[in-house]
This record gives sequence, structure tokens and C-alpha cells, in this order.
Amino acid sequence: MKRFVIGLMAATALVAVAAGPAAADGKLNIYNWGNYTNPELIKKFEETYTVEVTLDDYDSNEIMLAKVREGNTGYDIVVPGDYMILVMIEQDLLAKVEPNKMENFKNLDPKWVDVWWDNGREYSVPWQWGTTSFTVDTEVYKGDINTLALMFDPPAELQGRINMLNDMNDVINAGLRYLGYSRCNGNQDQLREVTELLLKAKPHWRTMDYATIEKLTSRDVDLSQNWNGAAMRARADRPSLKYAYPKEGFTGWMDNVAVLKDAPNMENAKLFVNFIMAPENAALISNFARYANGVLGSDKFMDPEMLSAPEIVMPADAPTPDFVKPCPQEVVELYNKVWTRLKQ
Amino acid sequence: MAEISSTSAVPAPEENVRSALNLRWQPGFNQIAWMCIFFLYAPIAVLIAFSFNDNRSVVVWTDFSFRWYEAAFDNRGIRNATLVSMQVAVVATFFSTIFATMAALATTRTEQYRGQVLAYAIINQPLMIPEIVTAVATLSFFSLIKQVTGLTGIGYLMLAHTVFCIPFAYMPIRARLEDMTLTLEQAATDLYAPPWQVFRRITLPLLVPGVVAGAMLAFVVSLDDVIITLLVAGPGETTLPVYILGQIRRGITPEINAVSTLLLGLSILFVTLFFLYGKRRK
Repeated sequence: MKRFVIGLMAATALVAVAAGPAAADGKLNIYNWGNYTNPELIKKFEETYTVEVTLDDYDSNEIMLAKVREGNTGYDIVVPGDYMILVMIEQDLLAKVEPNKMENFKNLDPKWVDVWWDNGREYSVPWQWGTTSFTVDTEVYKGDINTLALMFDPPAELQGRINMLNDMNDVINAGLRYLGYSRCNGNQDQLREVTELLLKAKPHWRTMDYATIEKLTSRDVDLSQNWNGAAMRARADRPSLKYAYPKEGFTGWMDNVAVLKDAPNMENAKLFVNFIMAPENAALISNFARYANGVLGSDKFMDPEMLSAPEIVMPADAPTPDFVKPCPQEVVELYNKVWTRLKQ
Repeated sequence: MAEISSTSAVPAPEENVRSALNLRWQPGFNQIAWMCIFFLYAPIAVLIAFSFNDNRSVVVWTDFSFRWYEAAFDNRGIRNATLVSMQVAVVATFFSTIFATMAALATTRTEQYRGQVLAYAIINQPLMIPEIVTAVATLSFFSLIKQVTGLTGIGYLMLAHTVFCIPFAYMPIRARLEDMTLTLEQAATDLYAPPWQVFRRITLPLLVPGVVAGAMLAFVVSLDDVIITLLVAGPGETTLPVYILGQIRRGITPEINAVSTLLLGLSILFVTLFFLYGKRRK
């Protein structure tokens, strides 16, 4: 027993060597997606409020959730995707910091206030948002690109030249939109039609892969399902590429800044939430990661090539992006069946 | 790892028994071996080649350049992550080697005792349990400790690394001890050397190659760990492999290739040192 106690003390000492008391003043710990945060934004925040910021990265919503759910992570700020905000509010992991009562809230684009994942913005504010549609080489295909028919019923010049995302929801949702059916669809007859559509289109698809930029710039394919930021970067290498806004609809997504319930530096976290709603700061975010933010007036501070980028600035006649809610479990199981048949 | 240190026990094959029993002469051996080597090393060769590419793409070659290495050295995130990796690896290596040496002595330099097999099993546990299980368990356990004590900091990460490095350090040390006969120690005891002196003057000097080998293995294992680190690391404790993982979603630039190449180089350096050191001592 005595030895065990000594061992325990040694372990505690090891922890204590590098440990200090929790949460000193003047700190802020941010946990965000990798390669997503402008270092200039951090520096500006540090200088404005004399706060020392620590930034760490994660690579998926799920890893972030796993850590946060255990508690005492030491992080103040996280940047979950839309559906993950809802999950975290339901699990009581986020602090109700009420951004809607903050000074800079007036800058927020009203269309991003009453969203299904945080109605009225009691917990979170927009970080960046984007769309998932597809990119076509307009030198290869000269017709109207704003239709999902190019993927599911491709013209001769695009047959065998298509890359789809290797993502169940992105592919099935596109199929549902093409047939005019609703998302999160549990209707078995409609899903059977979708399965037939996908199986009929599959011989025309060359690959199903996430590496869309590489696929397009190496000229392996001429059409690829794509995210708008990736589409912009691919276009820089291959100027004839164009990002489509299909008339049948396309997916939108948003990452949001939120404060953890057990944040050690709650006041600084609130300062940060207010800070990023200032137009010049929101512009810093977009200039770095190349996605749109949700703050009005930020365009005055954005790089000119972003303001003219058709991937970022949607044409007026484009449909509203569809922010898909997470589906109920029985629908997910039906989707899995469709996906398995498609991938056989 | 034990095999590496005890190859001297295997007799060299006689020329004239080169027969159908020798694996090297089975049909297809060379083809399969080369295929394995190709699939294991070709991706790494491609990764290294493109780290010297003067282009943002990781698929189209343009020109030779060191620009991604410069970019990597200028990157604050990469610099911090490297520093954290080194700190954690050094501390974890130091403590895990000490504990592993103590464990190896206690499991070899004694009479057989009840529960010895159980002791092996417990020491080697981190090798047997899937890493994700250890990671999740450690995450919850540390969270509980933080809740009770209020202590935070990099010490938790160091402790976690120390624990899973112990079996890696333990194996070469134990292999070395099993190769060493008790004769010298018994002679010293006969000459009235007290136990500490026997250890200090006889056992430890003979054991050094095993300890060095164990320490190097522990260092490399700590440096390469992703899963446990990903879940246990707190603010400002991102290690290099975890940093690399975090970059992947937003597209890989050759900067990551450059860092990976450096990390690979470091790992190779340590494994080579480990090998040469073992060879020299023989």
C-alpha cells in the first residue's frame, strides 16, 4: 500500500511539474478546424484586448464533440458545423452567451439570425459558410451548366468524365433534388427511384473521391461535385472551370463560433464572439480561408478577387442553399441501403 | 523488438541445407517480397518527392525547390507543434525508460514467483488493447482528475505518453536482461558487494545497450502517436502528427509533405541509431 501511495504521488508530481493553476487571466483557448483561422485575426484580437490566444485544430466535428463531452478540455471557443451546434445545445455543452444582445450583432446579416440550429442566435454566431454543388469545364461542355442533369443524365462529352464526392448524403441529396423529392426522405418508393437513377448514372462516373481539386486540376475529370471554396481554388489552376448553381437546388453549410459551458475564460470568449461580428474582422476570416462570412459590410475589407468570385458571390437568380438537417435514424438506415447498392 | 536484440541465438543456415524448406526458395517469394516493399514504400517515396516540388499541387511536378521547407519553418503552428512534440517525447522517454528498467529488473532478476505471467501481461497491456480504447478511457479518467483537482496543463499528456511508452521501452531491456547470465552479479555478491553496488557497477553497465534501445523506441513511439494525443491534448498541446491531421480537410499543401518528410527522417534516424548501437555492442 505504501508503495502504491508513493507511485501515486510520483504520478501526481509529474502532472504538477508542468501544470499551473487553472485559467489565469488574459487568456483565450480556441479549438477550430485546421488551417481555418487567420493568424492576423488572432494577432489583432491579442493586441486589442491584451489577451494571449492559444489555437488548436481538429479535423472533424465528431472528435471535437468527443473531447468536449467529457468536459474540462480547457477550451473556450469551438467552431462546430450547423447540425453539430444543435447537437451540442441539446446536450447542454454550450454557454448561452446571447450574442444577439452584443454590440456588434447589428452587423449580422438578418438571413443568418433565425436558423434552425440556433434560432435567434442565443448561442452562436456565423464563422463561415459555403455551398456544395459542382464544377464543370465550360470548354468541354458549352451548354447551360445550372442543372443536376449534367451529373445524372450527362451529355456525351461529359460521360465518363465525372467525379462525385464519396459522401452518402451529398450524392443522395443531389439525386433527391434532381427528382424533386424532399430531403431526409423515408418514402421507400421515392428512394427506390433514386436508387435506379444513381445506378443508371454510375457508369458515366469516372471516380468517387474527396480530392476534388486534384481531380480537376490534373484533368482527370471535367466535372466534379465540389465545395465552393475548393471550386475557387481549382479555377485558379484551370480557368475554364465554372461553379454551377443548379436550378434543382444545392446544399449549404455553416460553421459557427460558440462558447463552451465550462469555458475557463468566459469573459474573453464573449469578447471574441463580439469581435468577429465586426465587418473588418469577419473580412479577415474570409480572406484567409476563402469562404463567405455572415457579416454585412465585410465586403469593403475583403480581397477584390473574392468579391468578384462567382463561387462566393451567388448570382441573384440562384436558388437559396438548402441547409440539410440531420435525418432520423430510420432514414439514415434506408440511405445506407441505397449507398451500399450504389457502391457494390 | 525482442528478436532484434537476440538474433545471435539463431544459428546461421548451412549452405548445403538450402532446401525446399528454406522460405527464400519457395516459388513467388521474391515477387511477393518486392510487391510488399513497393506498396509500403512507394507512397512514402512520392510524398518525399513532392515535398521538393515548386508548385502548390501535390500531383503535378514542376520544378525542384526548398520553398515548402521554408514555409514550414516559418509556420508558427508547425513550430509550436514541433516544440510540444519534443517536450512530450523527451519527458515521456525519460520516465518510461526508468519505469521500464525497474519493471524489467523485477520480472527477470528474481526467483520465479506467482503472478509473474500476470505481471508481464499487465506491463504489456498498452500493446494489446486497441489504442482508441485506451484513448477514450484516458480522456474520461483525466477529465475526472481535472474536475477534482482543478489542475490543468501539459503534464497530463506527458503522463499518458509515459504510460504507453513503457511496454516499448520494456521489451528490449528485458530481452537484454534475459541474455545476461547471473554469474557476474553472483560473483560480486560473493565479494560482499551490497545490492546497490552490484546494480550500479555490474548490472547497469551491462544493461546500457538495452536501456538505450528502449529509450529510442519510446521516443519514436511518443513522437508518432496520434489517437491518444488527439483526445488527451488540451489547449496549446497540439503535437506535430495531430497538427498534420488537422490540416487534411482543407487540402494538403506540399508544406505538409515537407513536415512529414522531416518527421520521417527523424524516425529513421532513431531506428538507425538503435540498430547501429545494438550491433556495436554485440
